Amino acid sequence: MTSYLDDPALWNWMSPIWFVVLALIATYLWMCRARLTARSWWFAVALMALLVAFVSPIGVLANGYLFSAHMVQHLLLLLVVPLCVLLSLPQERVAALTNHRFNFGSRRPMGMTILCWLAGLGTMWLWHVPSLCNAATQSETLGIVRSTSFLMAGLAFWWPIFSPKNRLRLSPPAAVTYLFSACLGCTLLGIYITFTTISVCPAFANPSDRIGILTMLYRAGLTPVADQQLGGLLMWVPPCSLYVCAIISVLCRWYTADELASISTATATGSSPQMTKVTS
Amino acid sequence: MSETQNEATPGTTIESPPAGRLLSWISTVDHKRIGILYICTATFFLAIGGLEALLMRIQLVLPNNTFLSPGFFNQMFTMHGTTMVFLVGMPVLVGFANYFVPLMIGARDVAFPRLNAMSYWLLPCGGTLLYFSFMTGQAPNAGWFSYAPLSTKPFNLMPAQDYWIVGLLCLGVGSIAAAINIFVTVLSCRAPGMSVQRVPLFVWMSLMTAILTILALPALNAALAMLLIDRWLGAAFFQPARGGSAVLWQHFFWVFGHPEVYILILPAFGMISEVIPVFSRKPIYGYVFVAGSSAVIVLLSYGVWAHHMFAVGLGMGADIFFAIGTLLIALPTGVKIFNWTATMWGGSIRLTTSMLFAVAFLLEFVIGGLTGVMFAAVPIDWQLTDTYFVVGHFHYVLIGGTVFGLFSATFYWFPKMTGRMLSERLGKLQFWLWVSGLNATFMTQHVLGVMGMPRRVYTYADNPGWMILNMVATIGAVLMALGTLALLWNIWISLRHGRLAGDNPWGGFTLEWATTSPPPENNFDVIPEVKSRRPLWDLDHPEHADWRLAKTTEDHGGRPDKAITAVWAFVASEAVFFLLLLVSYVVFNSKQLNGPTAASALDPNRAGLFTGCLLFSSLTFWLAEVSLGRGKQSTFRVWLGLSILLGAIFIGGQAWEYAGLISNNIMIDENLFAATFFTVTGFHGMHVIAGLVALCILLTLSMKRSLSPKRVNVVRAVGVYWHFVDVVWVVVFSIIYLRVLP
Ligand code: HEM
Ligand SMILES: [Cu+2]
Repeated sequence: MTSYLDDPALWNWMSPIWFVVLALIATYLWMCRARLTARSWWFAVALMALLVAFVSPIGVLANGYLFSAHMVQHLLLLLVVPLCVLLSLPQERVAALTNHRFNFGSRRPMGMTILCWLAGLGTMWLWHVPSLCNAATQSETLGIVRSTSFLMAGLAFWWPIFSPKNRLRLSPPAAVTYLFSACLGCTLLGIYITFTTISVCPAFANPSDRIGILTMLYRAGLTPVADQQLGGLLMWVPPCSLYVCAIISVLCRWYTADELASISTATATGSSPQMTKVTS
Repeated sequence: MSETQNEATPGTTIESPPAGRLLSWISTVDHKRIGILYICTATFFLAIGGLEALLMRIQLVLPNNTFLSPGFFNQMFTMHGTTMVFLVGMPVLVGFANYFVPLMIGARDVAFPRLNAMSYWLLPCGGTLLYFSFMTGQAPNAGWFSYAPLSTKPFNLMPAQDYWIVGLLCLGVGSIAAAINIFVTVLSCRAPGMSVQRVPLFVWMSLMTAILTILALPALNAALAMLLIDRWLGAAFFQPARGGSAVLWQHFFWVFGHPEVYILILPAFGMISEVIPVFSRKPIYGYVFVAGSSAVIVLLSYGVWAHHMFAVGLGMGADIFFAIGTLLIALPTGVKIFNWTATMWGGSIRLTTSMLFAVAFLLEFVIGGLTGVMFAAVPIDWQLTDTYFVVGHFHYVLIGGTVFGLFSATFYWFPKMTGRMLSERLGKLQFWLWVSGLNATFMTQHVLGVMGMPRRVYTYADNPGWMILNMVATIGAVLMALGTLALLWNIWISLRHGRLAGDNPWGGFTLEWATTSPPPENNFDVIPEVKSRRPLWDLDHPEHADWRLAKTTEDHGGRPDKAITAVWAFVASEAVFFLLLLVSYVVFNSKQLNGPTAASALDPNRAGLFTGCLLFSSLTFWLAEVSLGRGKQSTFRVWLGLSILLGAIFIGGQAWEYAGLISNNIMIDENLFAATFFTVTGFHGMHVIAGLVALCILLTLSMKRSLSPKRVNVVRAVGVYWHFVDVVWVVVFSIIYLRVLP
């Protein structure tokens, strides 16, 4: 295993993603006025995930070799990076910046929410239509479009749950429904990819062996069929686990946040218990 | 929205002659009486299922025994399993939820009392259908999970299997209706001050169970419908010999089956979460964890079904993922044991019978849970599946868990339901009989399983040690039967001579103890103020009231509309049903098929036209809704009439499609394309027709001027359903006609 990791061909140190990373760091520092807090760790995680997705062997193998690696890359871009970015944003600054521009969330919650949900699920489904999946793997520009759309869709998807502004977040029961149905959505696609006999992304069925590692991969058991099954399971179980974690955090918020808020008011109004007549 | 639902509690309180009393039970819509009916019916079937178990144990007491014939043994284990799950376990839990959920949240009744009565009456109806199969000469014999192809026509010609399917469909519909009712009751009928974060844990668990039922039962219904189509109309969904897939049945069954085991255990969790705090004089330790982890269990329980199928050969990857999922779901289950233990820790414990059963629950359930975790390891499962080890496992959880939780609740709540206490002496006798019986019967079965004794085989060879272990198991079964007799006798004499209970014999914390025992028809005259999770504790100990020490979320007064909440729950349930039908369509049509296919037999353009009609009817319906909201009755009727017309045109178009196919001799038994096509579109068509009936009713109501703008919520509820039917069709159309999936 170490020998794979040592293999310089498996690392893409010259990836242009570094520019994106630098740009992001600059934006972030501007956003929080160069004042780093505990929150900023999330940002570091987001950057790491971005680098793993493009620089590490995941990125190299995703580029035409392994469907499963390509799936890991999608998941990092769609779920991990946007989530960490949202969690890292300084709340007050975002509030100040977006006050006038992005007020949609509070006015048409239902329609907007459905759009966000569709963005998250839809991109995943869309890019796995065989022809599109193939094209994006073979064309560089389309690949960039795809990666960007994943990042954007991810931001949209997580926005109703972890938006830096509390007011824009979904109510906890709605959030649980939102995440649970999303889990159902990726389960369906995952099951389909895992169990179907068709090659979802034919480019991975017979890769062109750019850096001469194909035999090694096949020997390690990653034949196209096994690879696709693994990809399907990856698109199914890790996202759902992540959604379940998010659900747990939403539930915790539900039980605690309001309690803190209500302490002051309740102690002020607290009187001895009494019987209330119920209107009938 | 008003808190009370007096419209549906007719005056059954009037003293009536005996015949009238009987009639009043049959016609009742009071949630307490319906709860009792559920519990009594379940007890009746418990006796039958228990007798079946005893017959099996007598057969197995000696090697090479001939007490039962092999065929009859098969019928016995099928009927025992089906009875215990569908006619005992689920109804008795629904019965307790029916009785106590409204009381514990301070409501006057469930949200829909009449629907409640219907759900109940479907239970005896389904039970009768199932047991009527005996009259046809043979009971069902394919096991409680009726694996295909054994359950398909070529292997099972007798009508018994059909009775099994129809009976279960009947019970399934009843369970879903009951679950929707409880779901809406908890969300919409809580007393002032009772925020969702403050409901007693039994209520919370009932809510979770309701969600599980709403989303899991339709999976079974879809599978049953397909099996019925196989058997009656000659399709071949589950017949491998004709291109079908037997494994698909297993997937569908266990997608229902695994959530089902949580449907059976979560209410029991709720029961002991009420009992343990009261008899320890302490609040539950970690309310939030117990509640939240149950919500997580609900979600995870849909992702682990394939651990029942490790032996099928799903492939390494799938096995590993499902094994990990299974281990994960054991976590939120296991940690709760610590919550209950910590609640007892340092409390002043009163070891009443109720508490004894709750403590035994903790011990026995842990054993069952541990063997469950063992099965999560795939190689262990391969070794032990289909042996008595499995039988041992699930009886530890079902008896040590569900049944002990139920016994605990029975002793705890009997005083509230009848006004009299059960005898503690008889209770302890019952307790020791059941604990020793359970361990004698099923601990030995673990050993037998490891030794290789297969389950569901009518006899066994005289292998060393097997006879003695089986004898112990049978003796244990007799002990449990005696324990049940002790309970029945206890109920019988306590109803007559039991000590009077008073309102709150145990010093309980929750609202049901605030009213008389038994509660009056309208449940409460006054409801105590709810300011914490233990309103009665607060009332009795104003100095140490919970709300002084720790704050819980205030009630902001939000109570969703009953009709609309109910229709959303119903729509979610139907969505799962269609999802599975569509999955079967995709599974069978992504393979190469002989004979007609979607490409060769269907005309997407013509269907597109009718699709347009259906979609347009959604728009017109929405316009109708808007006009009613503005009080414009006649415009409302015009738009509604147009919606009906458009819906009817769609149905006409579908009839045209069917006629064309049939005239080309493409029938449902032609091949798997035809079977899946007719099943999916047929069920959708039935839903459209049901929707049309609902729209026509609305139209008639409006013509009779009894649809005031105030009742626009009813129209909106129908609207949710009508739009849902459209959305389903959009998916059906894109998958079947446009073939978006390769
Ligand atoms: C009175 C105590 C009980 C005894 C002695 C008992 C005994 C048995 C026996 C002998 C079998 C058949 C094993 C085989 O050969 O496959 C069985 C199966 C089963 N039992 Fe029980 N049982 C009892 C209570 C329960 C309860 C309370 C439930 C559920 C709430 C239950 C649910 C089941 C199920 C689901 C099966 C599997 C049926 C099948 O796989 O076909 N049992 N039991
Ligand atoms: Cu299971």
